Amino acid sequence: MSRMHTPEETKAAMHEVVAEMYDRIVKGEPPTMTLPVRTKNNIGFDKKLGVYKYGKKQSIRDATSLGSAKQLLRALHVVEFIEEMLDAGKSSTLREMYYISEAWGLGKFGSQNESNNLAEDLEIVTKCLREDFKLRPEEDGARMIGNLTLRERNRRGEWMRINARDDVGDSGYGVPYNVELEKIELLEHDIDFIMAIETGGMFDRLIENGFDEDYRCGLLHLKGQPARSTRRIMKRMSEEWDLPVVVFLDGDPWSFRIFASIAYGAIKTAHISEYLATPSATYLGITADDILAYDLPSDDLSKKDVEALNAELSDPRFADSWWQEQINMMLELGKKAEQQSLAKYGLDFVTETYLPEKLAELGLA
Amino acid sequence: MSGIAQKLASNQKQVAISEFFEKNKHFLGFDSLARSLITAVKEAVDNALDACEEARILPTIKIQITKLDPKKDIIKLVVEDNGPGIPQKSIEKVFGQLLFGSRFHAIRQSRGQQGIGITGVVMYCQLTTGRTTHVRSKIATEPTAAFVDIGLDTRKNKATKANAGREIWYNEDGSSKEHGTEVTAQMKAKYQKGRQSVWQYLRMTSIVNPHAEIIFVDPEGEKHHWSRVTERLPTKVESIKPHPHGIELGQLQRMIAESNDLNLNHFLLNNFSGVTNRARKELCQAAELEGTRKMKTIKGDDIRNLLEAFQGERLFKGQPAKLLKPPTNCLSPIEEILIKKGLSKTIDSRFVTTLTRVPNVTQGNPFQVEVGLIFGGTMAGDKPVEILRFANRVPLMYQQGGCLLTKAIESVDWRQYGLEQAGGKGVPKGPAAILVHLASTNVQFTSEAKEALADNGEVMEEARKAMLEMGRGLRKHLEKKKKMAKTKEKFELINDILPAIAEKSAQLLDRPVPELAGSITKIMSAVISESTTVWNKETKMVDVDIVLFNYTSRARAYTILATWPEKSGATMESNETGGRKEALGVWAWKLEALQPGERKNITYSLRGLERGDWTDTEVLFRGSQDVIGATKMDEKFLQEIRRQEQLELDNVADEAEANNDVEQLEATPLEPVSEQHIPEPVVTPPEGQRTLFGGEN
Repeated sequence: MSRMHTPEETKAAMHEVVAEMYDRIVKGEPPTMTLPVRTKNNIGFDKKLGVYKYGKKQSIRDATSLGSAKQLLRALHVVEFIEEMLDAGKSSTLREMYYISEAWGLGKFGSQNESNNLAEDLEIVTKCLREDFKLRPEEDGARMIGNLTLRERNRRGEWMRINARDDVGDSGYGVPYNVELEKIELLEHDIDFIMAIETGGMFDRLIENGFDEDYRCGLLHLKGQPARSTRRIMKRMSEEWDLPVVVFLDGDPWSFRIFASIAYGAIKTAHISEYLATPSATYLGITADDILAYDLPSDDLSKKDVEALNAELSDPRFADSWWQEQINMMLELGKKAEQQSLAKYGLDFVTETYLPEKLAELGLA
Repeated sequence: MSGIAQKLASNQKQVAISEFFEKNKHFLGFDSLARSLITAVKEAVDNALDACEEARILPTIKIQITKLDPKKDIIKLVVEDNGPGIPQKSIEKVFGQLLFGSRFHAIRQSRGQQGIGITGVVMYCQLTTGRTTHVRSKIATEPTAAFVDIGLDTRKNKATKANAGREIWYNEDGSSKEHGTEVTAQMKAKYQKGRQSVWQYLRMTSIVNPHAEIIFVDPEGEKHHWSRVTERLPTKVESIKPHPHGIELGQLQRMIAESNDLNLNHFLLNNFSGVTNRARKELCQAAELEGTRKMKTIKGDDIRNLLEAFQGERLFKGQPAKLLKPPTNCLSPIEEILIKKGLSKTIDSRFVTTLTRVPNVTQGNPFQVEVGLIFGGTMAGDKPVEILRFANRVPLMYQQGGCLLTKAIESVDWRQYGLEQAGGKGVPKGPAAILVHLASTNVQFTSEAKEALADNGEVMEEARKAMLEMGRGLRKHLEKKKKMAKTKEKFELINDILPAIAEKSAQLLDRPVPELAGSITKIMSAVISESTTVWNKETKMVDVDIVLFNYTSRARAYTILATWPEKSGATMESNETGGRKEALGVWAWKLEALQPGERKNITYSLRGLERGDWTDTEVLFRGSQDVIGATKMDEKFLQEIRRQEQLELDNVADEAEANNDVEQLEATPLEPVSEQHIPEPVVTPPEGQRTLFGGEN
C-alpha cells in the first residue's frame, strides 16, 4: 500500500534513478532509466488488492535517441527541482514546474504534457506519490452534494467542519486536490450509497429534483475522466464508511473507460491503483441494453468509437462476461446514447422511473 | 511555319489583311485580347534574344506595358534590347515583311520556328488601333540611331513607312546607347496576371535564358527584374543538312529541281547528312537508279523510288540502306547547370535537380530532352506541381493537358519519389515545379497554334527516362534530408545532452563527472559523413570537403564516391586522396581501415566553374555498414550514366566516321555549311519571298 514518504525517503528513492544513469556512463554504456511498460498489455489483476496493477514488463529508456536522452536530462532536472522544494518546504503545480523548466536549457520541457508524464514516470520508478514530490495537479476535483460531513484543514491550518448538504450552495462541496488525512477527515454521514455522475447537466438535474434526499445518497460530479483526488475521495468514502458506489455515465465506449479507471484502476496510474480505485463500484448505466429497453434517442458509433470498443474487448479490465456482452451488444447496435437522452420522457423520468428501476435491480431502492 | 508563309503569300492578293487576320487569329496567337499582348511581347523578345545570340551579345531586355485607355483596352508596349541593331535600310524589311529572316530555311534549332514574327504585331497594331509601330535601332558602327514608323495600308494591303530619320539615342542616364533596337507599339489588348500572362511568359523565358537580363515594368508601375546569372551565351548552333529519314516528297522534289549537282551521286553526298559513300551506293541500288544520272533526268517515279529508299521501304540486299545518324551539334541545350541557375533565381526552393539527356534522333531529326525539378521552399504543398514547358527555349503556355511533355510527366509514378499523386497518375501534387525542354530541329506541334507538342514515341521515352532519373534524385534528396536531420540529432545528443546528463547526475550524487568516450561510441554506433561544397572567392574554385567519422567499435573500409560537374567542363585539383574516375561525373576513393574513433577527410577543388554553378556534392558509398550522411551506391544509377556516356561517345565516333568517309572517298570538295558570323548584321531577304511592300526586292 502506498503511503506518504518522508523527504529523506523521497530523496533516497530519487537518487536510485540518478545512480542508474551515472553507473551506466561509468561502465561506458548509454545512460538509462528503467520503468514499467505503461500499456494495457502490461496490467494484471492483483488479487490481494482487488485492482489492476502494472505487470513485470519493463521498458528501458536509453540515451541512444535524442528524444530519450532529453527525457533523461529532464528527469535529472526534475529531481534537482524536487530536492530544492523539499529542502525549502515549498510546493508547486505541474504547470509551474513546466514554466520553471524554461530555465533548464537543454533540459526544458517541450510541452506541459511532457512534464506531467515525467512526474508520473518518477512516481512509478520511485514508488513515491507526487504529493511526496510536492507537485500539485492543475486539475480541480469533483463537486459533492449529500448529507455527509467532513473536516477540511483550510489554508490557515484551521480545521473546518462542512456538511455537504447544509453548508454548501447549489454547486456543492468542491473536493480539493489533496484529500489525504493531513487535509481531510471523514466524520459522519446519513446516506445509503454514493452515486458518481459523468455530466454536470445530469448532476444538476438530480439536485434540482431532490434526488439525494429522496434516495438518501451522496452525489458526486466526475467531470468526465475523474481527477486523482476525485477517485481517491470516492475510495476513502467507500472504504471508511463502507458505502456502495454506483456510477451513472453516458452509454458510450469512453464512459466504459471512465468506469474501468474508477473501479479497477487507470492504465496511466496503475502504479497507484490500490490507492485510487474503488473495486466495489457498480456500473449503473447507461448500458447498451438500456438503449433498447428504454428506446433512447441515440447516435451512430463513429469510427473512433468502434476502435475504442474493439480495444476494450482485449483490455483485461473488461474481460468478464458482463462487460464482453455489453461491448459486443453496443457494437452490434452500432449506437451510443447520452445520459440526458432520458429527457425524451420528461425532466422527471430519470429520477422517477429510470434510476429507481436501475437501483432496485441492485437492491438500493 | 512555311504553311503560314504560303498561305499568306497566296491569299495576299485576294483577301484583305484584316480578313486574313480574323480568319487565322487563333493560330497567329491573336485570338484573345490577353493572348495578343503575350504574343506581341513574345515576338519582340524572341527577336531580341535571337539577334543577341547570333551577335554573341549578352542580352538586356526591357519591357514596359502601359494602359493608355483602360476603357477601350488600349495598351502601349515598349521593348528595348541591347542587340546588334538593324541597319536603317533593313528595318522596314524586318518589320514590314512577313516571315522574313534566314531562320526559316536553315535546319537547326531556333526560337523562330514558332510565331508569325514581329510583322504580325505591326499588322495587329494597325488593325486594332490604326496606329503605326515606331522602331528605333542603332548599330555599333554608326554614330546615330535610325527611326521610322512602320504601318500598314489596309486598303492597298501594303506596308507603309513614315517619319524616317536619325537621332542620337540617349540612355536613361544620359549616356548614348551603343547598339540596340526599340519597338514602341499601340494595340488593343488586355493585361492579365496569373499562369497565362506576360509576367509568366517573361519569367519562363528568364528560366531558360539565364544569360539574359530581363526587366519588366507592368501597367501598375511595378518593376520585375530577372537578373543575369551567367555570362555564358548559349552554344552557337550549326546548321545541318537534312537527313534522308526526315524528308518529305515535296521537299525532295524541290531539292532535286533546284539542284546544281553534277549527278545523283553528288546530289546525295552534298545535300544530306548521314549519307556516307557506302550509304550513297546502297541508296542508289535500293532505288534502282544509276548514281551517274543527271539530276534533270530524275523525275516522277524516280523521285518516289528514291524517297522509298530513304525511308527503308526499298531495300539494299534485303536491308534498308545503312545511314549514319544526323549530327547533333545543331542543337543548343540549355545545359544542366544553367537550368539549375535559371530555376533557382526564379523560384525560391530548397532543392534543384536538372538533367540533360544525350541527343537522340527521331525521323531524321535530332532532338534532345532536358528536365529540371525544383522542390520545397515557399511553394504550395497541396497544389498540383507547376509545369514549365519549353520547345527550343520558347515557353509553351497554353494547352498544357494535350502536350506530349505534360503526358511524359503524367506517365511517371511520382509517389515513389516523394510527391503526392492520386492513383500514381496525372500531374503530381507537392511543393515542386517540373521543367521540360525539348530542343529539336523540327518541333512537331499538335496544331498550328503551336502550344502543345504532338505525340512521338521516341521523344516521350526520352522525356520519361529523364523524369525517372530526376525522380530518383528527388527521392535521394528527401532521404538524405531525413538522414541529415538524424545525424544532426545524434551530434546534439553526444555533444550537448550526454555531457549534461553526466554532469547533472554526478552533481546530484556528489560524485566525480564520468568519462564519456565509451558511451559515445555505443550511442552513435555508426559511420558518419559530412560534406561541404563552397565557393572560394580567392582561387575562383569550388572547394569540396568530405569528412568520414567512424563512431563504431570496429575498423571499417569503404569506397566513397562523389558527384562533380565533369560534363560542364570542370576539372578536379588538389585532390590529395587520389582515387579514380568511376563514371562521367562520379569520382571514387578507396578508404582502407578507418579505425574506431578515427576521422578522414577527402578534399579537392573544382576549377572552371562560376560562383553558384555547383553548390551541392552528392556523397555515395560502397561498403557493408551504413554511412549516415551518404547514399548507398545504386549500381543502376551508375549503369545509366555509363550508358549515356557511351551514347555520347558513339555520336562522336559516328561523326568522325562520317567525316573520314567523305574525305577519303570524295574528291569533290563539299561546300561548307556553317552559320555566318554576324558582327554587324547584314540582312537580306530570302529569295522568292514576297513582302508586304508589294513584292519588290
